[in-house]
Amino acid sequence: MKATTHYDSAQIRRPLLTEFSNFWSYRGLLRLLVTRDLTVRYKRSILGVWWTLLNPLLTTGIMWLVFGQLFKNRFATGEPYVLYLLAGVLLMTFFSQGMISTGAAITNASGILSKVYVPAEVFSLSTAVAAGVNFVIGLVPLLIIQLTSGVGIPWTALLVPIPALAMLGLVTGLGLLVASAAVYFYDILDITRVLVQLVYYLTPVFWPVSIAGRFEPWVKANPLFSYVDMFRNVAYRGVLPPLWELVVVVGSSLVILAFGVWVFSKGWKNLVGSL
Amino acid sequence: MNEVPVHVSDVSLAYRLARNRAGTFKEFAIQMLRRQVTIEKLWAVQHASFEVKRGEVFALIGPNGAGKTTLMKVVARVLPPTDGRVIVRGTLAPMISLGAGFNPELTGYENIVLYGTLLGRDPRDMRQSADRIADWAGLNEFMDVPVRAYSSGMLARLGFAIASDIDPDVLVVDEVLAVGDEAFQRKSFDRMMAMMNSGTAVLLVTHQLDKVLEMADRVLWLDKGRVKMIGEPKEVVGLYRESVG
Repeated sequence: MKATTHYDSAQIRRPLLTEFSNFWSYRGLLRLLVTRDLTVRYKRSILGVWWTLLNPLLTTGIMWLVFGQLFKNRFATGEPYVLYLLAGVLLMTFFSQGMISTGAAITNASGILSKVYVPAEVFSLSTAVAAGVNFVIGLVPLLIIQLTSGVGIPWTALLVPIPALAMLGLVTGLGLLVASAAVYFYDILDITRVLVQLVYYLTPVFWPVSIAGRFEPWVKANPLFSYVDMFRNVAYRGVLPPLWELVVVVGSSLVILAFGVWVFSKGWKNLVGSL
Repeated sequence: MNEVPVHVSDVSLAYRLARNRAGTFKEFAIQMLRRQVTIEKLWAVQHASFEVKRGEVFALIGPNGAGKTTLMKVVARVLPPTDGRVIVRGTLAPMISLGAGFNPELTGYENIVLYGTLLGRDPRDMRQSADRIADWAGLNEFMDVPVRAYSSGMLARLGFAIASDIDPDVLVVDEVLAVGDEAFQRKSFDRMMAMMNSGTAVLLVTHQLDKVLEMADRVLWLDKGRVKMIGEPKEVVGLYRESVG
């Protein structure tokens, strides 16, 4: 990365192009911000970074206890429930954690952004990537459980990067929208937190789709259902996802990423002045 | 070819303020429904034009709220101008509230790397320069300590040491001349002077008019966002002092 050698304010900002070239030229900073995000959160704790690994496991453990043991009969998924749960928790934690931290990224960096020139979108991308790294770390216990429970790791697990990268695009796009809006209205973050929780419960993380009965088509209309289902298909079911699922996942990710970046780019000029 | 490092032509900057500014989305939605939202433009700087040449010290003076800091931030690329054009040739080192990018939980060393990278330098390059920077700030023993344990003087010293570690083409300084104790103040003053002598263009904002007379080659007097005059330090500072009374 090189320092700015020439700045001309009359240079026209080209939506998408400017942002993506900023991501690339600021990759050194991006890497630093991601490690900062991952380490600072647990800096003053005994277990430190191990919390990254423990968090999804504990959530899964609690849900397994409640839904897998207490309500055993009502949550029959027809497959190992722990895997069903952990896979769902991992990907949806990526979504919810990523949305909340990415949405707050620009306002949190206001101290820097109002004093030093750094493209604001770099901060949003770094928090989304940090949530993605947490997800990747969480894959380790998932794979270990697959191996020890006899399910094994199917070759389709090689396709895990598809739903993971799609989720990264989705979180970055939606997160940029939230982050830009949060500059003007501070309660946007509270609203986001509630909506994210709503989406979490409406997505089959711990309940089987079949439980929805006549609402099943509605459940499947939620794009996040496709993300989670695709991830489960490739990670442990060993099933190639149907084509429509691939289209929904990759398509929604690209469209929302482009839309979020484009809206950000259009409103960028007023953003820093309002911080 | 025009080789002036800082070129500001007819620059204006407006902050957009919503009347009865709604702080929350809820309020905004209600006002929107009642059609009470009007966006007002608050012009912080209007039609400012100037150039800063190589090795020149250009000072901005004016009362509080005149738009000095805003104009500096426009030059430092932090705020995009609403109208007009800014061109900066070469690397720019901003010294505006030093240490604003520090993370309290990270150590001194980690913050040197992070802050330097925020200023546009390469992280690898920063890791190599870290010792030199710590040395210069006199904070060698504290490099493995989280900066939340630093005193405000130590923070300011570290901030100045990082920001001044490069040899920039343009230096933007906002009221940071009074950093740390007297010994460090002299040290940082000397460093800035050395930069100026090596051809760095300096844009300086300060209320210390004696410093302006001592350092500046030219002075811009900003009043209510407009350029009142540009000229010789003695003349401009004299008239400014008269107007203030």
